[in-house]
Amino acid sequence: MKNAVKSVITLTVITVVAGLLLGYVYEITKDPIAAKAQETKFNAYRAVFPAAADFKEAAGADPSKASEILNASGFTDERIDECLAAVDSSCTPLGYVLTVTTSKGYGGDITVSMGVSSEGVLNGIEILDISETAGLGMKADTDQFKGQFKDKKVSQFNYTKSGASAEYEIDAISGATITTNAMVNAVNAGLVYTGSISGGQNE
Amino acid sequence: MGKLLTIAIGSAFINNVVLSQFLGICPFLGVSKKVKTAAGMGSAVVFVITLASAVTSLIYRFLLVPLNITYLQTIVFILVIAALVQFVEMFLKKKVVSLYNALGVYLPLITTNCAVLGVALKNVQNSYGFVESVVNGFAVSVGFLVSIVIMAGIREKIEYNNVPKAFKGTPIVLVTAGLMAIAFFGFSGLK
Amino acid sequence: MSKVIERLYNGIIKENPTLVLMLGMCPTLAVTTSAINGVGMGLTTTVVLVMSNLLISMLRKVIPDSVRIPAFIVIIASFVTIVQLLLQAYIPSLYDALGIYIPLIVVNCIILGRAEAYASKNKVIPSVFDGIGMGLGFTLGLTLIGIVREVLGAGSVFGFKFIPEDFPTLTIFILAPGAFFVLAVLTAAMNKIKLSSGKGGNAVECDESMCAGCTMTGCRGRSVK
Repeated sequence: MKNAVKSVITLTVITVVAGLLLGYVYEITKDPIAAKAQETKFNAYRAVFPAAADFKEAAGADPSKASEILNASGFTDERIDECLAAVDSSCTPLGYVLTVTTSKGYGGDITVSMGVSSEGVLNGIEILDISETAGLGMKADTDQFKGQFKDKKVSQFNYTKSGASAEYEIDAISGATITTNAMVNAVNAGLVYTGSISGGQNE
Repeated sequence: MGKLLTIAIGSAFINNVVLSQFLGICPFLGVSKKVKTAAGMGSAVVFVITLASAVTSLIYRFLLVPLNITYLQTIVFILVIAALVQFVEMFLKKKVVSLYNALGVYLPLITTNCAVLGVALKNVQNSYGFVESVVNGFAVSVGFLVSIVIMAGIREKIEYNNVPKAFKGTPIVLVTAGLMAIAFFGFSGLK
Repeated sequence: MSKVIERLYNGIIKENPTLVLMLGMCPTLAVTTSAINGVGMGLTTTVVLVMSNLLISMLRKVIPDSVRIPAFIVIIASFVTIVQLLLQAYIPSLYDALGIYIPLIVVNCIILGRAEAYASKNKVIPSVFDGIGMGLGFTLGLTLIGIVREVLGAGSVFGFKFIPEDFPTLTIFILAPGAFFVLAVLTAAMNKIKLSSGKGGNAVECDESMCAGCTMTGCRGRSVK
């Protein structure tokens, strides 16, 4: 009996100490983790919109309406995580940067950031979060693939397996059609959304 | 319903837990000599993973998230799984003796089967709800059952083959696993 | 001093966890798609292993025998979570590359196995070096597999490409089956060395008794509880 009590006490003490220690480590790493995530995101924004000096809250971008807009265009597996206005040093809006997540990746969610100018030109895309198969789907995160979206003004992209010939065509990653499809869908969803909010502003 | 089916097929075959996620390799290599024991181990895993998915999903949603201590998930999950296995063992021993006789010896081996913790963590990572977690857990473990039984079936035949001396034992089993993994690639067309 | 060297030799060569004991197979196969991932996983595991060995050895007289397995699990899981948080904060690229396999270090047979078989019975200094030896042995095994897979599958070593950009590579070696094949050939090579040197005539085999490192600890902890 005495032994049992001692066992329980020891185990409890170890667990409590472990819990407290973890809480402490969590507190000190919380801010660096958040800062890193923020930094990664803004680095990606700068990469997809090099002309912008700063990113501000976008007028007319209501995140709660985003899913409605996307659903109406048939994008049910994509969502807009964030949409900011890209502005130059005198605060003139140049376009939008946005983060889009699609759940249609082979290995789960893929999060893409993209920059779209006011004229509707896609400046470029970057991948924030991806867990596709190494050697296949992971090739989405190469300049060779991402570069295909760069500096194009099209309303919607399409992927092809037989060599891209038109502006709106993207070469599929060989052996990773699902990943390609997810990427193209995410970008298209972003384009639909920016189209809808910039259209709304002109009215 | 459609989504649940997608999760089930995806977890059981396309992203097979052993052959593509590499979880639960230890029992897969260790307990696959005979079809009978493999089936016993596989069934015990199905039982435990499904139950663990349900319990960890509830604990995460109603305990860790409200208290804002999700960073404790690893430590909480592994303790819950260890305790759960213990309870299942005691319960079966007392109440369902026939099932205990079939699965009992495999239960203690399951705590350290990383597939159990892996599934619990994946459920959280993919933000599955309760029903989805249970379906996913069940599908993953059925995938484990299928692959360990196939492996045992092949190994029973390999016994009689003339394998190069250096490849005897684990190496030939690994080669077999590699070939099975290639075969399972065929399922990726289902998605 | 000799004890220290003996421990290192034991972990890295004689009882190499990957190539000789065949422990911790899940991360071994899963994250070795490139050499750098192998190194990262190996060193992360080493850190956890050294810290848990250190603490468990220090507490070996305090922890009652009947609750030692749950106590070890709590200690190991805490260190894993700490390492996970630190990686996320300061080396996010490694955190992203290793993903779910970081929390799964908790169930890595090597760590609980060493706690049970060595640290809980020995003094602090040898336990620490046992952890370092085993950890480096694990890192060595993972890096080796990572290098082979990366060379064959992507034509590069540690990210440096040594073949022309559009030269075809054997992508299968980066995919799941390749992991099994590379490990199969490496263990076969180990068998060959053992067979030809004549000592330890038993081929490497992972059967019930071989996986003892992970399974036995589970069983024994349970029976005394």
